[in-house]
Amino acid sequence: MSAQPIIHIENVHKHFVGVHALRGVNLDVQLGEVVVILGPSGSGKSTLLRCINRLEEFDQGQIIVDGIPLDTTENINAVRAEVGIVFQQFNLFPHLTAMENITLAQKVVRKRDIKDARGVALDLLEKVGIPEKADNYPLQLSGGQQQRVAIARALAMNPRIMLFDEPTSALDPEMIQEVLDVMLDLAQEGMTMVVVSHEMGFAKAAADRAILMDEGQIIEEAPPEILFTNPKHERTKTFLSKVL
Amino acid sequence: MPPKYIPHTSANPLVDRLKSADRWWLLVIIVVALIVILIVFKPDPYLRILLFARDGVWVTFYTTIISFSMVLVIGLIGGLGRISHNKLINGIASIYVEIVRGVPLLVQLIFWYFAFPSLIQDLGDAWNIPALSTYKANPLLMAILGLTFCYSAYMSEVYRAGIESIPKGQMEAARSLGMNYVQAMRYIILPQAVRMILPPVGNEFITLLKDSSLVSVVAVADLTRRGREFMAANFIPVQTWFMVALLYLILTLVAARVVSWLEKHSRYER
Repeated sequence: MSAQPIIHIENVHKHFVGVHALRGVNLDVQLGEVVVILGPSGSGKSTLLRCINRLEEFDQGQIIVDGIPLDTTENINAVRAEVGIVFQQFNLFPHLTAMENITLAQKVVRKRDIKDARGVALDLLEKVGIPEKADNYPLQLSGGQQQRVAIARALAMNPRIMLFDEPTSALDPEMIQEVLDVMLDLAQEGMTMVVVSHEMGFAKAAADRAILMDEGQIIEEAPPEILFTNPKHERTKTFLSKVL
Repeated sequence: MPPKYIPHTSANPLVDRLKSADRWWLLVIIVVALIVILIVFKPDPYLRILLFARDGVWVTFYTTIISFSMVLVIGLIGGLGRISHNKLINGIASIYVEIVRGVPLLVQLIFWYFAFPSLIQDLGDAWNIPALSTYKANPLLMAILGLTFCYSAYMSEVYRAGIESIPKGQMEAARSLGMNYVQAMRYIILPQAVRMILPPVGNEFITLLKDSSLVSVVAVADLTRRGREFMAANFIPVQTWFMVALLYLILTLVAARVVSWLEKHSRYER
């Protein structure tokens, strides 16, 4: 394994009211690695993902992203600038066009001028396959198109890490593949990705490692072909038998 | 044979436009026409009332506009205070809203006009500051202050509800793109919240317009006060108050049309 992991998660605990959501999670992600996290609902996988850019606070332990510990407000903002996230519900800004969704943060956070920001946005819309939708509002787009704009919006900030929180769970079946294709391209380009998803096809094709979480803990981790075909842990077997 | 589909368009585009036009404007036109008819055919007393009360209409109009402009700003500050996680800011905003909501507007207006200046004078006497001891209240200023103070509290709640109605994911998306809280509010949350609250804001405006009649009690010569003066001099209550009511009605109907136009033109395209 290479020297320093780009994401270092060490003994992280998180409590919600009455729920011990994360119970001492340890995880290192290397630069360029694609990690897929699986697990039953309520297992803490989304919570863990959201801890990486501090959308959730954690109670104990530490997370270091690209050498920056997530403690001070300043550091949190620095980390957020390097980490893109794609949500299950897209969370596009409905009052802005696809183009404006992608250019806004470039302008106000990265301080790019409008021309540069538009150039970046057009390239990214091209990359996700919908350059013709630049001037459409989110509500005029299909779910798959919205999610692709959301990916472009995150990429426009030039993140070193991309987080995906069940990116295809809210999509109609026929739209899942177009989003997965964009993610596969990203993985092939060497983007570091942490993906919470049950898309086995994507995991097999792109992931270096698959992780099974249950009850706030990492139960088992292995390359996807091994985890899916030859799981060691009883809980992994139970889970896979329900999903596959 | 199934019935043929007949589209709801006619050959004449002008007819279509008139049909789709906001029909409530008709009501405005009717009220205006009624006033014109009364003035033309019964100038005595209706034209006399109108001429007597017209500066009152103006006072009512700008008192409302000035107050409401300030309400929009102070209400926003109050609303942001109400959602603040800072206990002190939240506490101040909450106490302000609760107190103002619990005291009748008329009592508040009377307080600002009669009690507040007296309080200032007492302070001037106590601290020996002559400028304060001789403080005299400007009725219009105190009335605008009173309306603003009261309605800003209501408006804080409208803003708060609007901001809270925006899904949490919007703030999360903005923050995870690296925007700070202020940027996220400015570019993402407020533009959506403002569209959301347009109907209740319009409602507040119209209510404020009507409640501004209360300032007639604290020495402001608004439409209601001019009506009372005219009645006292001429003893024709029916005609006087009919005319005053019609004048208020024009103001509120037009305001309602403007609000509905704004709502229509601020919807998201889909």
